[in-house]
Amino acid sequence: MSYGSTIKVPFGPQHPALKEPEHFLFKIDGDIIVNVKPRIGYNHRGIEKAFERRTYIQNIYLAERICGICSDAHTTCYVQAIEDLLGVEAPPRARYIRVIVAELERIHSHSLWLGIAAHEIGFDTLFMHLWRDREAVMDILELISGNRVHYAMNTIGGVRRDIVSETIPKVIGSLDFLEKRTKYYMKVLRSEPTVLKRTVDIGVLKPEDAVELCAVGPTLRASGVKNDVRRDDPYAAYDEIPFNIVTDDGCDVFSRILVRCGEILESINMIRYALDHMPSGMLRVRVPMVVKPGEAVSRVEAPRGELIHYVKSNGSTRPERYKVRSPTLANIPALCKMLIGQHVADIPIILAGIDPCFACMDRLVFVDVKTNKKKALDFESFRKIVRKRHELL
Amino acid sequence: MRREDKIVAEIRERLKEKIITVEVPRERRIFAYIKLEALKESIKFLKDMGFKHLSTITGVDMEDGIELIYHLALDGSIELSLRLKVQKDDPRVPTITDIIPGAVLYEREVHDMFGVNFEGHPDLSPLILPEKWPRNIYPLRKKYALERLRNLIFKEEDIE
Repeated sequence: MSYGSTIKVPFGPQHPALKEPEHFLFKIDGDIIVNVKPRIGYNHRGIEKAFERRTYIQNIYLAERICGICSDAHTTCYVQAIEDLLGVEAPPRARYIRVIVAELERIHSHSLWLGIAAHEIGFDTLFMHLWRDREAVMDILELISGNRVHYAMNTIGGVRRDIVSETIPKVIGSLDFLEKRTKYYMKVLRSEPTVLKRTVDIGVLKPEDAVELCAVGPTLRASGVKNDVRRDDPYAAYDEIPFNIVTDDGCDVFSRILVRCGEILESINMIRYALDHMPSGMLRVRVPMVVKPGEAVSRVEAPRGELIHYVKSNGSTRPERYKVRSPTLANIPALCKMLIGQHVADIPIILAGIDPCFACMDRLVFVDVKTNKKKALDFESFRKIVRKRHELL
Repeated sequence: MRREDKIVAEIRERLKEKIITVEVPRERRIFAYIKLEALKESIKFLKDMGFKHLSTITGVDMEDGIELIYHLALDGSIELSLRLKVQKDDPRVPTITDIIPGAVLYEREVHDMFGVNFEGHPDLSPLILPEKWPRNIYPLRKKYALERLRNLIFKEEDIE
């Protein structure tokens, strides 16, 4: 049914569905979306420019802070790029540890997303249960790295911490628990009418569109395209660890749920295999501070999909240019396609369906636009104001 | 013969004198440097060869121009970086969104950050930079050092 005219509905930057600011302008006809225009940039922190000002060692920690969820994916991608430039390779044990941490991160990221998806469709009981169980994997990550968010495991030439034999039984125990719970959730999700009504045939992305629009990760695999950087362009120890690429032909939000559940189970098996077959030996090789001129392209399968970093060095201790493209940006054109023809009420779950991470995507600009007085503040002047205020008090 | 070498041979045959250099620094990585006018033709035939996925477009500010690098992937596996150079004053390059629709945001990103005009792009409005960002200031160009950008922002918004 058409009302003869379209209405523009702004969505965001303070977003009803997401915890991060992003703006979407929807053109609607009655209740149906006819067009959508994304406007990103609210989270830009100028990280690419900041890379050029810091040394290669400092940049490991900068890369870690691109994202609070897939921090390990960014450092892995970064150190690989620099290792490629230096012509060094991480020792075998370090490569296995990188896989273990990356897969633990995938489990935590996907569990987090499943909880958010449950919340978006109003199923908060499931959200609470999922996030309670997610603590199991967070505890393992803390046990291994000492941190819950920024693991700081990677360094150029290897890893910074070992996984000692005493922690392995604890890790295996938690993995068994997570496997049992994930299988249970899959059963619930497949049979629960609330979930099925809100997700089946919602936000459809046809395989040909997914490829045309260069979608990545679980979003692409849920459209039946078998594509995974871990298999196609293996890094770390992925060429030595057997795993299946989880795909689904449903092309809708429900398929995206199934793919991520399937990937959690695959990751659990991969970690078990990696712990079993982990070679002994050193953790890192020493590398020089100065990097000879050159360039490298590094790719990683982050929880949300293909992550690509490009680095150009100039023979100094700092990079000439560093480029980051996170998976969320790659999925935005596909997201816009999914939204067209859908109901306004389904916007939150479709948006959440690609597992967007705007902190990852926005990383270039310097302006923090503050209050509606339209002031632009950089960090230093902001600090000045804070100081002044304290003095007055 | 490695897959990479076969691809390189095919690129050489197709582009002939329009190609400046091609190299394979390591397994699954190819860097090709082409002339500006060969962009659309190259993207078209690379897409037919199977390079359907555009990972991203990188801009690099060089001394004698702006380098654009199109990172294309073959079946997710081989990453080909197609490089070309445009002039710094009024840089123009044809859009590839008609061949690879997924390029739409990457071209806008480079437009915001380096001021490269992608001719024929459906919408080059700011994607990342704020609406009030001064015109002709492209933050990732080398001549805009951080300090200079900060001063610009101060002037523009008149902070007390």
